[in-house]
Parts: sequence; C-alpha cells; structure tokens
Amino acid sequence: MLKYLFAKNEDIPAGSSALFFGFSAIVWFVIGTGLGSFNAAKLAFPDFVTGNEFFAFGHMRQVHVMAVIFGWISLAFAMAMMYITPALGNTKLWSEKLGLWNCMLWNVGLTLALTLLWAGVSSGREYSDFPWPIDLYIAFCIFIPLGVNVWMTVINRRTQGIYTTNWFFAAATFLVIIVFLVGNAPEFFHLTGLTEAYLTWWFAHNVLGLWITPVAAAIAYYTIPKITGNPLYSHRIGHLHFWSIVVFYSTPAAHHLMSAPLPEWLKSFASVEGVLILVPAIAFVSNILLTMQGKWHMFVENLETRFTITGILMAIPLNMQGGFQQTRAINWYVHATGWMVAHAHLALLGFSTFLEVAAVYFGMQTILKRKLYSLALGNIHFWLLLIGFTTYWVSMTIAGLIQGAGKIYEVPYIDVVIVEHPYMIARWLGGTMVFTGNVLWLYNMWMTAREGTVIPEGRMAHELAYER
Amino acid sequence: MAFREYKIGARMFAVCLGGSMIITLLFPSITVAKSTSSDVALDKSFYAGHESGFSLEDPFLLGWNKPLKVTLKVDPKTQQPMEQKTVYVYQPGTSFPASIIHPRIFGKGIEELSLQQGRVGEAKRESGAVFGFAKGAFEGQEYSYVENLTATKGWAPADVMRVAKDEDVLHAGAGKTMFVREGCWWCHTMLPEETQDWQVFGAPPMLGDFNAESPTAFGSDRKGPDLLHVGSRNSSREWMMLHFFNPRLVQPHSIMPRFDYLWGEKDANGQKIDFDKWRAEYIEYRDGKRVNPPEVPAYGKDSEIRYLIDWIMSLK
Amino acid sequence: MAMKFDRPLYSLSSKAENDNAKALWEAESLGGMTEDNNRTPVPVVLLVILTVITAFLMTFPLWGQRPTAAIYAEYVKSMNSPEIMAMTDDTAAMAKIVQMNLGKQQPSKWNYDGLRERHPVTMDDMRMIKRQIEALMAKGVDLEDYTVVGNKVVFANFEGNFRADGTRERKQPWWDKGYTIDIFYLTAFFLGVTIVVKCLPSYKWQPKHNHDHSYESDHHL
Repeated sequence: MLKYLFAKNEDIPAGSSALFFGFSAIVWFVIGTGLGSFNAAKLAFPDFVTGNEFFAFGHMRQVHVMAVIFGWISLAFAMAMMYITPALGNTKLWSEKLGLWNCMLWNVGLTLALTLLWAGVSSGREYSDFPWPIDLYIAFCIFIPLGVNVWMTVINRRTQGIYTTNWFFAAATFLVIIVFLVGNAPEFFHLTGLTEAYLTWWFAHNVLGLWITPVAAAIAYYTIPKITGNPLYSHRIGHLHFWSIVVFYSTPAAHHLMSAPLPEWLKSFASVEGVLILVPAIAFVSNILLTMQGKWHMFVENLETRFTITGILMAIPLNMQGGFQQTRAINWYVHATGWMVAHAHLALLGFSTFLEVAAVYFGMQTILKRKLYSLALGNIHFWLLLIGFTTYWVSMTIAGLIQGAGKIYEVPYIDVVIVEHPYMIARWLGGTMVFTGNVLWLYNMWMTAREGTVIPEGRMAHELAYER
Repeated sequence: MAFREYKIGARMFAVCLGGSMIITLLFPSITVAKSTSSDVALDKSFYAGHESGFSLEDPFLLGWNKPLKVTLKVDPKTQQPMEQKTVYVYQPGTSFPASIIHPRIFGKGIEELSLQQGRVGEAKRESGAVFGFAKGAFEGQEYSYVENLTATKGWAPADVMRVAKDEDVLHAGAGKTMFVREGCWWCHTMLPEETQDWQVFGAPPMLGDFNAESPTAFGSDRKGPDLLHVGSRNSSREWMMLHFFNPRLVQPHSIMPRFDYLWGEKDANGQKIDFDKWRAEYIEYRDGKRVNPPEVPAYGKDSEIRYLIDWIMSLK
Repeated sequence: MAMKFDRPLYSLSSKAENDNAKALWEAESLGGMTEDNNRTPVPVVLLVILTVITAFLMTFPLWGQRPTAAIYAEYVKSMNSPEIMAMTDDTAAMAKIVQMNLGKQQPSKWNYDGLRERHPVTMDDMRMIKRQIEALMAKGVDLEDYTVVGNKVVFANFEGNFRADGTRERKQPWWDKGYTIDIFYLTAFFLGVTIVVKCLPSYKWQPKHNHDHSYESDHHL
C-alpha cells in the first residue's frame, strides 16, 4: 500500500483501494467481534479479567460498537463503493490514489479514536462517543474524501443514467457528512440539556437510517442482479425505496426517547414515521426477492447469493420489530432491555453484515481475479455467522422479554440479573462463534489472494470450478 | 448524446431533506428552548459544571475543571454559625455552566431574576465565583433563581473553602465525569420509564430537568438498576464503598465489574493498597477457605472513587 | 455534461463485457431508466397502504402515555369516604376503591375505566398524589391538563386547543400537532410519488437499444 500512496494515479492498478479497504474491513471485523465476544464473556462471568481499567466492561463496550460500525461496516461500504461505483458507471474510479489515502487515514484515525475511547476519553453520548476533534477528523479525513471519490466517479460516469445502487451511494455519502456535522453540534457548539439528548439520538438514528441501511441495500441492488444475471425486478420500486428512505427514515429520531420528557407532539410525529420505515423496507425486500425469480437455486448453491438473501430475509423481522417496538403501546415494555440489544444486532450483524460480507467476497474475487481459496471455509463462515447470530438474537430477545416483565411486576433488579445468567452465557457462545467465523474468513481471503485459482478474463468467479 | 443530469431529482432531494430537518430539528428545538429550568436542573448543572464528558479543559476525564458542591454551616465572612445552605464553589479558572454563559437557557423568569437580583452576569471565570439558589417572583410566578454569592454577599471561593469541612464537600461534578469515563451508563440508565417502571426506580424526569446539563447520558441498555434516584433508595456510603470495590461482597449475584482501581495507589491513611493480596484473600473467601472477606481499604479523600460516591449520593 | 471521448473505456470488466455494455447503454437515450420496469405488484401497493393505516391506528391511542390526573380524581374522593377510611388493609381498600368507581360515567370523551386499568395504583401511590390532586381540584382547573409522573402531578407536555381565556389545554387534541404534521407530510410524499410514477413511461414500454431509436424516444423524458 505504502508504495502506491505517492505513486502517480495512473500507475495504481484499478481496484487497489477497494482491495485495501476490503482487507482492512475484515481485520476490523475480527477485532470488533473479538471485543464483542470478550465483553459478552464479562457479562456472563463478571470476575473474568477484572480490576483493571483497560479490561473493564465500561471501557470496552463502546470500542466494540464503534469498531464494528466505523471499522467493519463502514470500511466494507467503502470497499463496495470503490469497486461498484466505477463498475456501474462503466468507468474507472475517479482517483485510486485518493482512495488509498482515504483508506490509510481511516485506519490510522480509527485506531487513534478507539484507543482514546478505550482509555475513557468519551463525549458521553451514545453512538457519538468520540470527542469532537475525532468527529471532525472522521468528517473531514474519512467521509468527505470518500464522498468526493464516489461523487466524482458518478459524475465522470460513461453511462447516461445512474443505476439505483449509485443513487444510494451518492446520497448516503452526502447524508453521512451532514449527519456527522449536525449530529455532533452539541459537542461543537456545546448545546446542552434535552437538545443534547435529542441530537444524540438524532445522530444515532440517522447514522443507521441514512448511512448503514441505504448503503447495505444499495449493495444488494448490485450483487443480486450481478451474480444471478437477472436484471433488477423494478426500478420503480427502487425509486419508492430511495425516496421513502429520505422522507421517512430521516424523521423518527425522537422515537428513541419515548420515555424522555420531549414534547408529546414530537413523539406522536416520530411514532407514525417510525412505523412508516416499513415502506422502504417493503419496497426493498420485495424488489430483491422478485429479482431472484427463476434463480432461487443460487440461494443454495452460491455463497454470495446465500449471504445476501439471508440478510434480506432478516430485514423482514428487523423492520417489523423496528416499526412497531417504538410505538408508545409497546416501547415502554421493551425499552432499554436486552430486546433492543437483540434488535440492534439483527440490524448490524444480521441484515447489514450479511449483505456486506457478500459484497466483500464477490468484490475481492473480482479484483484479485482469483477464485475463493476454499468454499468449505466459506460455508463454515456462513454457518458460524448464522448460527452464532441466531443464538445471540434468540437469547437476547428472551432475556429482554424477561427484563420487561421484571420491570412491570416490580421484581427486584437482582432477580432479573440471576434469571438472565444462562442467556448471557448463550450470548457469549453466539458471539464467539461469529468471531471464530471471521478469523477463518480472514485466513480464507488471505489464501485467496495468494493461492486462489486465477479467473480468466471475462469470466465470473462463481462460474468456475475449483482447480487447485 | 446527453447525460441525464438529475436536476429535478437533486432539487427534490434538497426539499425532502430540508423538510425533514425543519420538522425534526427546528420545530422541537423551538419547543425545548421555551422550557424553564426546574430545581433539579439547577442543582445538576451547577454541581456538574460546564461539561462532564470530553472537553479541552479535562481531556482525559480526570475530574479537572469541576466545581464543588458545599454545604455551608458557617458564614464564610463572619465565621458565625448560620442556617445550612448549599453553595456551588467555582475556584478561579473553573468553567461556568452553560446557563451562566447563556442565561436564556434558564428560561424566562429565572433568567431575569438571576441577572437582576442574582447578579450572575458579574461572575468572572478568572476570579471564580460561589453560586447558590434563592426564591423570587417574576410576573406573579415564583421561581428558584441563581444567586452569584460572590457579588451579592462577597463570598469568595477561598473563603467558602476555608470554613467548609471535608465531609461537607461533594465532588459531585468530578464524580459525574467518572460516571461518563467508566461507562457506568452502558448498563445503568438515568431514565425511569414513564409507566409502571417508576414505582421501583422513582419518578421519571420532566421537561426542564436537563437545562444546561451536558451530557445527559440517559443510557439505553439496562443491565443493572436505573440510577436516577439511587441516592434516595440507598444513602449508605459504606455500602457503596464495598459495592464498588467488589460488588460480589454485598450482592453475590451481581454482574457489575469491580471498580477497585478507582481507589488509586493509597488508602485513606496513606498506606499503599496491596491489591494482589486482597484479591488472593478474596478468592480464598469465595472458595470457602476463609470465614470473612478481606477488609476493603478506606478510600482517600482525593481518590476517584470518592468523587464517584459523592455523585451517587447526590442522585436524590 | 458531455460524453468524454478522449479516454478509453475504463472498468474492472473485461473488454468483451465493456463492448457489450457500450453497445447496450450508449445507444439508448433514457439511461436505463425504462429498463426492467416491471409493474409494481399489487400486494406491494397494498402493503404500503396497510402500513400507513397501521401507523396511525397503532400510535394514536393514549397507550403507553403517562396517566392523566383526571382518572384518579374519583379515587381521591373515594379515599375520603368513611367506608375506605375505616379499612386498615391497603390492598383491600384499593380494590374497594377500584370497584366503587368501575363504570362511573365520566365527563370526558376518554374511557376512564380502560385508562385506570392500564395505570393501576396502590394505596401508597394514592397517598403521594392525593394532596396534589385535591389542591388542583380546589383551584378548579381541568385535571386532564395534568399528568401523574411518579409521585408528582405535573402539567402535561401537550399543546392543545386554546380556551376562551387564551390559555392552552394541555391534553392531546384530536388534531395533535405531531399527527397533523404527519398527515401533511405523508400526503406530500405520496402525492409526489404518484406524480412521478405517472410521469414515467408505462411499464409495458420497452426501450430499444439501437442508435436510430434514441431520437424517437426522447419525448418520454
């Protein structure tokens, strides 16, 4: 990588930045899920590595969250953008050099940011925990260069129209910058009180709704038609999806604070909008599933399709939960319980991660022009992720419902802790399976780069047999 | 051949996003800005100071640049006993709460009273100030307002600290910083639910309870009890000390981490704390080889755990 | 923006793929917009309509909101009755109060029985809020303007209708500001969607990928 940072843009092979982004993403995924597994172990066995500031749960919990969101998920997005945007514009990436610098600044900045966070240097605002100088770094050294590269590639495209995926990429790279700058205004301008609380959740809601959800969906709009060979079922439904994301997903931030003393009208408004998040979800899921018509055998046979469609199927329970759990009628029961933790993992580890994993698998094989080293390891990765995640989700959902019951029946809190103990162990086991799967994935990808079967010009990886 | 330029789409995008931001950011901020600080908010914002999370004045969240909450029993000027009064001591150089810098955060009424009668506008950061609360009426409505006691009574921070005994001083502001730094809020919410939940954890907060507080750190993922009113449920410092050192000493089923590292190097008597010995003895106790657990060392008066317990005690 | 001819076609794809794509895309004038425009399936439209209806039905009732002080006014009166005063067992006394007030006609449009069932209280809770409710009743204010939050009776966060004397009702009005904004917001969105969909070429229209056709299809834009 270093030798390309100062090379002429023309001398950098196409796909280099996607490659570095891809490997960085996988490494951060290993780190992030490793931390998650370690944290879960501490919840199950509180005396496991104890009495040390740097291994205290309160110091590590947010490092796990941020490593996964801004390391794994966002880097995988950047990887996908670096190869999908030019491919759909029938052009080359605007600047591979900018992409490589972006990747380098991202890794360095994130390492620094997470080290500080680990040491407790935090703004105390959930999901926007980073102190404001780091927020500015993320906006100006991470998201703006990424956005510039994506936008310039779209502008310099050699197709007339812009394909659905690229609408989403262009919009989301713009929106994430706005969300970062506006959502962290309480830190930049020292806004206080309920404004701070509300903007904290405005940020948290929108970084998920206007960055993670649309980009993950955009990836599926590329991978499914590309791998199955079926054209996207309908651009019209794609439009409905895109515009309802912008219109509905950007509004219900207040539904995260249904029990806070915000104005009641704001909660009423946010609650209706919260249910309407189902509109983009319906549009997206139906569009992708209809695209699969006639190619459902690939769900079984092809690793990338299997990952993507599993992720899409998980979007159904995800959005049913997301739409309804925020209404006043339900929220008071599940709010601040393990149910929410399960829901957050369904969104990030279920839905979005499965789509990104597929895009990284597919993209890496395309860029390296090498077929995956071991399908067996790929399959093990899939099942470890799926079974690990399901174990996690089921156990945390049950734990959350118990917590909710404890809340209304006025059970002393310690009894809830005692009852939850087996679910905490299950949660740790599930998380550890995901971590193990990712270690295998890193090995598999590394070996693919070194020893994978070379893909001849004009062929796709999944069309070839394994030859080694 | 021309490219499609997406002019209509780009404009529609701006309209949609702008509309969304007007409704979700501008409208609520108008409503929230109209709120008037409650007594809870005044207390919280004055003991916590300017900022409890990261700030340039306290970049490593060590409790720097924080005020002290002092219960005065002796008049700092005359040294005569007086009726007990809670004051907030801002030593020279300590940043003031956001509501002193921008008094409109207090809300109408309190703002006028604090500026006219409380003379908060005269407070200077370089020389420090002592704040207290008083009652007054504005347009027929009664409010608690903030009084700059340095201006109205001539009580300088140094005077107050000279007459205050250590047990009357609460490092609650530094304690809240410990709460943020140690990530307590990842498991303990500060927001009882509006429905049945409050019967165990106490009244949920109200509009105006947060003015000038930053960060509010509600928390969203409860793995332990809500802490908003924990000081009313349990006001034993002794219990808190044991519980923080090793929660399993007082609650065998607790999953809370140990916070023994907040004791620092030395205990209250200046003796070096031998953590390894303590842990070894605790394991013996846990395994049934000892009848009594080892003694928890008393914390020093400038230890981080003292700050944290001071803050917990002020959560009424 | 114009096509750049000064650079070769760059992409990650092979030459054959590029030539294919070039022939496909560069010859037609709608930029792929009309490509694969299958009809939006009726179930999808129905699901969207169902979502909008559910969104309002699901969120409109006062479920999960803080109880208004008015629902406990009758309880407070019952507490002062000699019958209840004589009882020593709190649980039995509370059960008796609930039973005494069951089905009593209320002056409001809300069904207090349902609200009381959703917000059960104990005698201890009642003792904490009794004084405050009595003070409000003595002042003669509308108790529906107040909510019970823990052990406090406070002004509700709602901004309702204006009264004759210029003050505001503090109860959820039928036109709750949040829902009103929602109605306008949704209407604008779905109106926009309908207009856009009607402007698009019919889903039956298929683009033809040849150079001659581009001129002819321009009017669809």
